[in-house]
Amino acid sequence: MSAEFELTRNITIGQYLPTASVVHRLDPRFKLGAFVILILAIAICDTYVGNLFALAICIWMFQISKIPLHYGISGIKPAIPFIIILAIMQLLFYGEVVNGGTVYLKYGFITITSESVRLVIVSAMRFVEVIFLSSVLTLSTSTTELTHGMERLLGPLEKVKFPVHAFALIITIAVRFVPTFAMEMEKMMKAQASRGADFGTGEWWRIIQRTKDMFPIIIPLFNVALSRAEDLILAMEARCYTPGASRTRYTQYKAVGKDYVALIASIVISAVMLAIPW
Amino acid sequence: MTPQPIIRVENVSFAYQVNQDQQIPVLQNVSLEVFPGEYVAIIGHNGSGKSTLSKHLNGILTPKEGDVIVNGINTREKQRIHEVRSRVGIVFQHPDNQIVATIVEDDVAFGLENIGTSAEEMKTRVDFALEAVGMSAFRHRPPHHLSGGQKQRIAIAGILAMKPQVLVMDEATSMLDSYGRQDILAVVRKLHREGMTIVTVTHHMSEVAEADRVIVMEGGRIVLEGTPREVFSHQERLRELHLDVPDASRIAQLVHSEYSEFTPDLIHNEEVVAEVNRLYVRQAEASGS
Repeated sequence: MSAEFELTRNITIGQYLPTASVVHRLDPRFKLGAFVILILAIAICDTYVGNLFALAICIWMFQISKIPLHYGISGIKPAIPFIIILAIMQLLFYGEVVNGGTVYLKYGFITITSESVRLVIVSAMRFVEVIFLSSVLTLSTSTTELTHGMERLLGPLEKVKFPVHAFALIITIAVRFVPTFAMEMEKMMKAQASRGADFGTGEWWRIIQRTKDMFPIIIPLFNVALSRAEDLILAMEARCYTPGASRTRYTQYKAVGKDYVALIASIVISAVMLAIPW
Repeated sequence: MTPQPIIRVENVSFAYQVNQDQQIPVLQNVSLEVFPGEYVAIIGHNGSGKSTLSKHLNGILTPKEGDVIVNGINTREKQRIHEVRSRVGIVFQHPDNQIVATIVEDDVAFGLENIGTSAEEMKTRVDFALEAVGMSAFRHRPPHHLSGGQKQRIAIAGILAMKPQVLVMDEATSMLDSYGRQDILAVVRKLHREGMTIVTVTHHMSEVAEADRVIVMEGGRIVLEGTPREVFSHQERLRELHLDVPDASRIAQLVHSEYSEFTPDLIHNEEVVAEVNRLYVRQAEASGS
């Protein structure tokens, strides 16, 4: 029971795992770029061997970033129901949509062909690959670096009036306040519980009741959030923040050899993945 | 030649607009000057307008009537507001609500990024500011693991990095435990020794005793002004205003009322000790001779 109130004890923002590997030390701009390229290649690649190759690459990435593979596997666990539901839907309804292949089974509206089976298996593999890849990315990059990298990569969009700076700042502030609000919520839950409120003790199927139980927490939390936001605006203005004005950047990134190697490697891997014909 | 004030507050009135035809007056015709290197404390009970006044000092609020002039720049000049704000930095009450970034050094650099400082210059200034508040060892930490006092030191560092001439503390110690408060006071004391002008808004009378000049506010007006010693000698008046005096001051006055030899206008604990010693030695000499 008491453990349910300990929201802040184990808080990790993002899931950065500092192992100081070469992947950790990559320039976040290049790391993000390489990541995007690989994700795109995985999204396009629809062959068995291509995906096996991609899967191997993903596992190898865990190796070189010195992150135990079970971190990636634990990321897959919550996704398993989705993968299964998706697989069943594809199996039942995609036979007619995907052209070609031999028909294995035809029963009423259900058609299963070799092509639809491939789609099912490839989709499941893609799921796993994407989860592995994003695990490596988030485990090897701090949220600060991620935001910086993203801000720099989106930089060109500023030309079409996309507020990149503001966008990055929003993410930074959101991340910054996660532990603050967790602590706030913990305090409120304890205060409410000490006056006899119940959290999470009702049966799980009584969703409406359990949702209602959260109102005495959510509403004051919003209240607190708004007043904190007001304070923060004052503090930001006092430090010369002007919305939309151009700013300089404290953290400077300078790409070195290994960053280019990583980017080129991701392109080569993608090319190989897409070139495999089976 | 008299020195030029850094901040000139001239006949400032301010009111919060509640709705179209209702206003709550907060400041009424307030005038004051802050000189370079001064340590000014503003006191007053809740709702006396002291916090509102401090927010006028760098143009976060602009007066309804009157003017605030910082180094010759009127805070109404929107184009030059950055100049004003980099000259006069404010540290606010809540340590959690003024940290923007997820890493300490990024937060210290936030203000510098806003005023367009170059990357190399930023590096030296962030180093300097973190060193000044004694937080260099924490530069790569996420701020949520820090204590309240440490967070407030980061907030001060964020201001210092902008090389201001005036540091305004808007009840910056009121959310801290006594350990954190001592910490912050030590930092402020050091900055003041090094020539920084300090304006502190506070409830804590022990902080007030360290100031060169005290301004007492009530109902949006300045009602008392002077050195801490002068101000704390008006104990009756302060009691009417629901304000405390430092313990040292109260003890000195109590002893004085029993024993008229005892000097009444003491404000520091050490002074009370010294006074007791002085009288003790004198009495010993008197009985010895």
